Amino acid sequence: MIEGFRLGVFSRGVTLWDGLDFAFGDAAAWFVTGPPSSGKTLLLSILRGERRPDAGDVVVSGESLYRGNPSLARAWRASCGYVPEQAVADAHRTVGDLFRRSALAGGGVRESEQMERTDRLLEMVGLPGALEWRISELSISERMRACLAAELLRGPKVLFCDGLVAGAGVPFWEMLWGLFRALAREGNTVVLAERRIPERWGLAAGDPEPVGPFRLYRLPVQGVKGGPG
Amino acid sequence: MSERPSLWWIDWRLSPGPVVRETIGRFLFFCLLGFALLSLLLSGGGMRRLLADRYAITAVLRAEVPSAEAEGLARKIAALPPVRSAVYRDPEAAWKEFLRAYPGLDPLRGAGGNPMPGYIEIRIRHDRLTGADVGLVASPLRSVSLVEQVLTGEEWLPRLLYAARLASWACWGIFGAFLAGFFLVGRLQERGRVVALSGDFAFLAERGVPVGRLVFFRAAGAAVSGFLLAAAGTAAGGGALFLSLRTFPFLEGGIGPPSDLLLPRTIAAVVLFSCGTALLSAAASLLGWRAARSVRK
Repeated sequence: MIEGFRLGVFSRGVTLWDGLDFAFGDAAAWFVTGPPSSGKTLLLSILRGERRPDAGDVVVSGESLYRGNPSLARAWRASCGYVPEQAVADAHRTVGDLFRRSALAGGGVRESEQMERTDRLLEMVGLPGALEWRISELSISERMRACLAAELLRGPKVLFCDGLVAGAGVPFWEMLWGLFRALAREGNTVVLAERRIPERWGLAAGDPEPVGPFRLYRLPVQGVKGGPG
Repeated sequence: MSERPSLWWIDWRLSPGPVVRETIGRFLFFCLLGFALLSLLLSGGGMRRLLADRYAITAVLRAEVPSAEAEGLARKIAALPPVRSAVYRDPEAAWKEFLRAYPGLDPLRGAGGNPMPGYIEIRIRHDRLTGADVGLVASPLRSVSLVEQVLTGEEWLPRLLYAARLASWACWGIFGAFLAGFFLVGRLQERGRVVALSGDFAFLAERGVPVGRLVFFRAAGAAVSGFLLAAAGTAAGGGALFLSLRTFPFLEGGIGPPSDLLLPRTIAAVVLFSCGTALLSAAASLLGWRAARSVRK
């Protein structure tokens, strides 16, 4: 369970938001929508333990990320995967490099296992045989899907995605929908931040919970182990 | 998956191509530096062995000294610590040497027989060729009744030794400048690599890898690879020097015999050099990281 208590952020001399409470249950796919410049990326950074909030705290499984033991915060970050909205710094690398460093961050991934999983993941996100492709030669959609596949190589317990659904594009929404449900069914948590939710997903998720400038949806996941079903 | 990924050789694992190129370049550089280091070590700083090879103390014996006594004296002199060799030349041998040096002076022997006295030629070890050690050998000889005169070249020897010392300092200075150049270039390479891999390091830090651990393991990796490259490069340079000395024996006069390459003190110096290179490599890694970070801030 990831909980944000009375979260507040002061940015560019103004209060972006303050006093927000969030609760992201385990083994679920969560969808946070918000208008441009509302602080969605910032919220994900705070939840991942990257950026200390100016007010409030984030508690993961009962432990404070910012007021507790720093090693716990590091362990939390190690268990998270993150697909950023932009991957400009990686433009000169290849898709294979993304997988290589992801495996390094996870540690303990055997070479043979890594190769097998890499091929499977690339195929899953619609990029078969893309290992040697340069990031700079990929479209936005391909970059985001390659980043997603590289993050999944480590098998993160919690996956944060910033603008992935919009970036991947309509043709891949079905694939992503299936992937998020599968991850949740396996007991993982997925937190997505987007400007808006695809219509079908919104209909399936039902009424969102309004939290400050954001709308929080819980995507339905059928047959979750130990979940509400 | 383990919670603490191994960070050994992290640069190599993230981006092998540039690391391989840099490693090959450093190995070749250490081959040259190792060749120079061993040449300097064996030659005693560049000039000393050359000087010791050409310098000799001559103990001129009295005319009536029997050969057996002269050879006994030569043996005693040879046992002195600074002495490399002490060889007795009888008057006949001295006369022949004189004629080789000044042909056409045979008539000098006509009336009074051989005018040349016997002498002992004393050569000093290159590592003991100092004014004090020359005095240590020459002073007792002067009081020996068999010895007529001791020729040490006292007038010019100090100046020659001083020139040799200056040459030695210059040689070691050039060697040190190359080592400093290695450090500066290494620091620039490390900095460039940190900038090139900054995205990867940020990625790892975002995924819970402590930056301090990253910096430590990069420096430790640089130290280990620096040590191994220096040792391997010096060994290769030593091999090249060995072959050079075997192929061109005249070089032995200036540098020394190939067997000296395997002396314990030579090996100890190479190990010390490798350790120093390891420290320089680690320092270059740390400073390169700091420089890259300060540019990004």
